[in-house]
Amino acid sequence: MGLEIKFIERELHPIMYIIVPLGAFSLAFLCGGVLMSWAGVNPISGYEAFISGAIGSPVKFADTLVRTTSFLLMGVGLAFALRARVFNIGAEGQYIMGAIVGTWVALLLQENLPPSITIIASLTMAMIIGGLWAGFAGYLKATLGINEVVLTVIMNWLAFKLLQWLLRGPLKNPLSEMWPMSPPIQAKIPVIISGTRLHLGFILAVLIAIGGYFLMFKTNYGFKLRVAGMNPDAAKYAGYDVRKIIISSMILSGSLAGLAGAIEVLAVYHFLYEGISIGLGYTSIIVALVGKLHPLAIIPSALMFGALYNGVVYLQSALGVSYTLSKAMEGMIYLFVLISEVFLKYKIRIIRR
Amino acid sequence: MEKPIVSMRNIVKRFPGVVANDHIDLDVFKGEVLALLGENGAGKTTLMNILYGLYRADKGEIYIDGKNVYFKSPKDAIAHGIGMVHQQFMLIDELSVVENIMLGLKEYGLVLDLKEAVKKINKLAREMGFKIDPWQKVWQLSAGEKQRVEILKAIFRNVKVLILDEPTSVLTPQETRELFKIIKKLIANNIAVIFISHKLHEVMEIADKIVVLRKGKVVGKLSREQATPQLLAKLMVGREVFLEITKRPKKPGHVVLEVKNLKALSDKGVLALKGISFKVRAGEIAGIAGVAGNGQKELAEVIYGLRKPLEGKIYLFGKDVTHKDIYERIRIGISLIPENRLGLGIVGEFSVAENLILERIDEQPFSLNIPLLSRLNIKKINDQMLLKYSRELIEKFSIVTPSPFAKAKTLSGGNIQRLILARELGRKPGFIIAEEPTAGLDVSATEYVRKLLLEMREQGYSILLISGDLSEVLSLSDKVMVMYEGEIVGAFRPEKVSLDDVGLMMTGVKRMPREVIEKIWD
Repeated sequence: MGLEIKFIERELHPIMYIIVPLGAFSLAFLCGGVLMSWAGVNPISGYEAFISGAIGSPVKFADTLVRTTSFLLMGVGLAFALRARVFNIGAEGQYIMGAIVGTWVALLLQENLPPSITIIASLTMAMIIGGLWAGFAGYLKATLGINEVVLTVIMNWLAFKLLQWLLRGPLKNPLSEMWPMSPPIQAKIPVIISGTRLHLGFILAVLIAIGGYFLMFKTNYGFKLRVAGMNPDAAKYAGYDVRKIIISSMILSGSLAGLAGAIEVLAVYHFLYEGISIGLGYTSIIVALVGKLHPLAIIPSALMFGALYNGVVYLQSALGVSYTLSKAMEGMIYLFVLISEVFLKYKIRIIRR
Repeated sequence: MEKPIVSMRNIVKRFPGVVANDHIDLDVFKGEVLALLGENGAGKTTLMNILYGLYRADKGEIYIDGKNVYFKSPKDAIAHGIGMVHQQFMLIDELSVVENIMLGLKEYGLVLDLKEAVKKINKLAREMGFKIDPWQKVWQLSAGEKQRVEILKAIFRNVKVLILDEPTSVLTPQETRELFKIIKKLIANNIAVIFISHKLHEVMEIADKIVVLRKGKVVGKLSREQATPQLLAKLMVGREVFLEITKRPKKPGHVVLEVKNLKALSDKGVLALKGISFKVRAGEIAGIAGVAGNGQKELAEVIYGLRKPLEGKIYLFGKDVTHKDIYERIRIGISLIPENRLGLGIVGEFSVAENLILERIDEQPFSLNIPLLSRLNIKKINDQMLLKYSRELIEKFSIVTPSPFAKAKTLSGGNIQRLILARELGRKPGFIIAEEPTAGLDVSATEYVRKLLLEMREQGYSILLISGDLSEVLSLSDKVMVMYEGEIVGAFRPEKVSLDDVGLMMTGVKRMPREVIEKIWD
């Protein structure tokens, strides 16, 4: 006697890929409501604040798009690594490294060069360092078979500790006694709608997502990458260099995360500080998964998570909900979305024996 | 008369497309070694998996000590005193020997007294006449030692009948001798041993009784005194009929493939190729006969480039390709029609059209240059060309598919093989390795594949045919070599050989002189 849970693979109508995540969100909100009332906040006004924080006004919607930008860039990058069956958990660290190098290059060049050249140089270097940071992990996986999950997580910590040290040392702003932060950056990525924070980087991210779609589905590189991820044996048999694919997918993934980090500094904050990432890189993994590792589908996915992120932040400041509670709600949404992934992929039957 | 400890009656087991066990009767008595002999696919392992409760028979009964039993799982079989040592050991590498042996034993309760168990294991091992350190972790053990742990595990569970599935395939000759000593101890303790093998000399050495299976049927039951290698080989291989195939005589052309003294390891780390040399010429089908698992798979992988040789040279169209990767070998003109069609041959989630272009995706006109990116070998896929080419191949090789866009995994087995053939032959490779090209296919697909191979021969292609189907190899090939334990033990023109000899060579009893082999293989 016993119960057995059986997973049967299935293919659903495409519309379910929208309905199921939405259902997951609703369930998460329901549970979030219970949490809120437990904490003494009226859930209805809580969600009003949440929605108004995400899309309540043009300025707030623009802020949501700003947040979308980092999710989109990292999500598209991660799609390549994950499709090649390389589990890059390191977008967080690659993002931080991009932010560091982007800041550094901008600070070095902005005195003597025009802002446009400073920005281009800063973003390029951020992409290169992000690519190298991730490519190193990819290289170790491809040649020595070292587990990329462990490796990238360790490298995330390394990047964060490096950031902390630099902000207290070489990159410290001498004028800021209290908070560790870098000197201000004058070379700012231009805003596209005045009065908001929506910047050119958002357009760039959307263009990169479209380019990513082309690369993944319309070129021989994307073709081989997908084969290597789905059936590595068949890829070897067909004469593909699977190592090269693993390493290049990591470089691609890391360079986009690095770019996202530098854009954040140059377009939003205009200085570097410790809270530059706070987990955006980890959330991006969920962004990529909900977007079914498809660069175009990652656009709405990133938008959704951008709105969610800002909604939770606003909820916190508007109603005085504690930081921990708002983070718990965010975590709950991720949890529900990840569980719904399983339901999308499998029919689940409980069999009594 | 003594009653059998195990009696299997009228066992029938069907798998899609084959009858693996066709009304089999089998009796096993206490204190004797019964050898189950047969080629791969004869139904030996299936029959034993039924006895061990892994499979359920479609028909037939099992009696243990005269009582009719019904096994739902190996748990029931173990409770009735049946034990089995599989070819793949069922041990947990990270645990110690004693932990592995005690694992799952209920009577010891929640608190395991390992020290007590170790004492028992040491005592048992002494009785059996071998040494083992019960505290050692399993990953530190050799294959032979792991096998002893499996045997001890069975004895701990009070086994009455112990099934050993091809136990010598992972052992060195010394370890094999040790195993035989252990088997003799087991039968002295009144345990019955069922010994599955296709190696005649081992069977002749250890078995009291021999049951020969062929194509799911019992074709012979003999005592050791009655058996001779010649008789057993004849029973095992049978009277294979030559297929109705018209093959025009053809003068072979220049040398296309030459391998010299190839040595390679198997996945298990055993020497699977022990110095193989031969040549294949244009317009010639060279067949490799032998019981599966004697190095054929490794040979195909080494020649194609999937496995690195330890030693030796490979020449393809006169070029030394030993250190070239698969990408380069494909461009020089090699093709592999793999046995593992689903795992290696296709990408199931990709469309038929995409699968047909798998190896040529980088080539013009299937990919077009993009300014700048082409330097990184990133090119745009030419969808129109891909579609046109795939339509041509689908038509030419009569692949039955709803459309070129259908996922490859939705095709039937025969059509998946057609897809692979279309892709491999569509690029006109010059040299083809056909690995079990008709295994698992229905009659019409089988016939299609064989005709196609002969047609390729006519066109001057050079083909290495690896097949466990002896009549296929003998009928299609211009020359045949027999592989046994990683060596070529015989080479001949198929029309000039007696089937009895082939059987003896496949089972390791007979070996042709080196000069004769070399003459044929030039």
